[in-house]
Amino acid sequence: MNNVLQLKQLTKTYGDFAAVDQLSLSIKEGEIFGFLGANGAGKSTTIHMIASLIPITKGEIEVLGKNIVKNRRFAKSNIGIVPQEIAIYEDMTAYENVRFFAGLYGLRGALLKSRTEEALAFVGLDDKHRSFPRDFSGGMKRRLNIACAIAHRPKLIIMDEPTVGIDPQSRNYILESVKKLNAMGSTVIYTSHYMEEVEEICTRIAIIDHGKIIAEGTQAQLKSIITDQKTIGIEVRTMEGLNLEKLSGIAGVRSVEANEERREIRVSSDAEVNNLNRILKELLADGMEIRAVEERQPSLETVFLTLTGRSLRDN
Amino acid sequence: MKDTLWVFRRTMTTMLRSYKSLLLYLIGPIVGIGLSFLIYGNEQQVAFRVAVVNLDGEQAVAQDVASFLSGVERVKLSELQNAEEAREQVQTGKLDAALVLPSGFSQGMISGEGSAALELVSIDSSMAASYIRTYLDPHLESLTALGRTALETGTEFEEALAKYSSAASPVSAEVVEDRSVQRDMTNRSIGYLVLFMMFSAVNLSAFMIKEKENRTYFRLLTTPISGRTYTLSNVAANLVLLLAQIVAMLVVMKGLFHIDPGVPMWPLAIVLFLFAWVAVALSLVIVAFSRHSMTTLALQNLVIIPTCLLAGCMFPIDAMPESMQGIAKFLPQRWLLDAIDRLQQGTALTELGMHLLTLAAFALAFTLIAAYKFGHNKDTRTFI
Repeated sequence: MNNVLQLKQLTKTYGDFAAVDQLSLSIKEGEIFGFLGANGAGKSTTIHMIASLIPITKGEIEVLGKNIVKNRRFAKSNIGIVPQEIAIYEDMTAYENVRFFAGLYGLRGALLKSRTEEALAFVGLDDKHRSFPRDFSGGMKRRLNIACAIAHRPKLIIMDEPTVGIDPQSRNYILESVKKLNAMGSTVIYTSHYMEEVEEICTRIAIIDHGKIIAEGTQAQLKSIITDQKTIGIEVRTMEGLNLEKLSGIAGVRSVEANEERREIRVSSDAEVNNLNRILKELLADGMEIRAVEERQPSLETVFLTLTGRSLRDN
Repeated sequence: MKDTLWVFRRTMTTMLRSYKSLLLYLIGPIVGIGLSFLIYGNEQQVAFRVAVVNLDGEQAVAQDVASFLSGVERVKLSELQNAEEAREQVQTGKLDAALVLPSGFSQGMISGEGSAALELVSIDSSMAASYIRTYLDPHLESLTALGRTALETGTEFEEALAKYSSAASPVSAEVVEDRSVQRDMTNRSIGYLVLFMMFSAVNLSAFMIKEKENRTYFRLLTTPISGRTYTLSNVAANLVLLLAQIVAMLVVMKGLFHIDPGVPMWPLAIVLFLFAWVAVALSLVIVAFSRHSMTTLALQNLVIIPTCLLAGCMFPIDAMPESMQGIAKFLPQRWLLDAIDRLQQGTALTELGMHLLTLAAFALAFTLIAAYKFGHNKDTRTFI
């Protein structure tokens, strides 16, 4: 597989502060690459440099094997960016928005028309092409935001938090769209605060912290980093009477989370400490009815937390 | 170039879709012409309502004065019998002035005593009184001189008056067109146009700030077009709009209001086009120093209104103190208005090199400041 994007010793400094510090990364054709990092980790700065919005201090970025500084137009033509903040014109119809942005990539005439229509159909807005975005729901705006980035059929699509603040239906639609785009030949860089989305669609993931990649690989590879930890999922009939503090005090327990919706208690613990009996005993003592117990692989969230010391959603 | 045109088309489409902006851009200057027309156009049509109260009866001198006054242009003369009634009508505004010829007035003139007994009733500082005095005083002086001469030579006053009245004057009178009003209307109209041009230019340049706020600007920068191309397209749209404003204003001024600027259209248009560049360049400076559209709005008001007032866009510069007139020399609007003033006085455009160069220098300086500021602005906000 060829590299679609390659970052070589990429560095961005502001005075003495290195926002991105000698970051090297390769993203291969056909990947959906999850790029995770807390706020201030250097994720946005890296994407800004890939998008040519800010100059590079040191290092090199190659898009399809070409240096982006020397081949700026080529690089930009092969990248489509779906920004986190919706960036569309409210005073232009959905069709005009997509057409305008596609036109900036040099498309004209019949090709421009067909690509515009395709992009709108792809995000399910073909029946709204004459409507103005001011009349759209949040989800529809997000979909239009995507259409504006894909009409020129870029080889690399960078999606930054494309599902923020939308309903589950639109969220699922977007996730399916990402998979479809990938199946159609686009390589995708995906960032999100929702770890379950990353787990669902990404084939490879990199975690960035303090401007450096601290872990990179497939989900299985990342989870295997955490060998000293185990996660126990306990399903109960009702959460009534649950005492989290008591569970946290048990030897070896690192953290306890309660999921009210799933009626599930998730306990992260030292792998070598055998404390399952004690945990169950405490729950039973509190009058809780246990329905199922399962020892699980550490989640990506646990990996992220362990490596960065922060939860992804704490940003 | 294709990219520039693509963005240019979008800017123009957006602009044309906003009818409020269109009103400001095109109707605004035309309203300015209308205002100038109302303010200055009425000046030449005012007729003063004047009454004569002749208490001197059928005396020849009194009759002559009344007759003279009725022949004065812009005077609508009537007769009243009572001085009190005349005063009352002046006070209530029914009359602009009243001329009271007291009993014995004619005899006084004949005996060479002059016109001291005559009374002109008017409101204090009345324009009508000044106007009547301008015509009447020389005539009364002539009559007084005639009276003295008649006394000295022993001739009959009536005979001398008849000779004086019938004498063929060696001076021929020719009525010439008063162009000052037309010039005033032109200058004021252009003053308002300048104001609207500057506001329009900033409003259109502020599109760039709004695009930054909507983040579409940063999205544009991730496409193959550069920030420079984007700015250039905005400047092009801005210039096209200002040129349309100038053309619309000149056509309406000449075609609809029949105001003759007293200058051939081409030199006038060239000077105004040059100023359009100044306005666009200044708008770029304002935008370059603004982070938000509210800042643009504040800077727009802070810069444009005071400088237009100082430069004499809204009222004649001569009405201002000398120190203020000195400051106005540092303003591009003043150089434009002065250039037009000189063109109206018959100076050829080729002789206005200093004015044209100064305007070009203003435009160039503003362009360079804006370019420098844009070049050092690395603001990408929270686009990603």
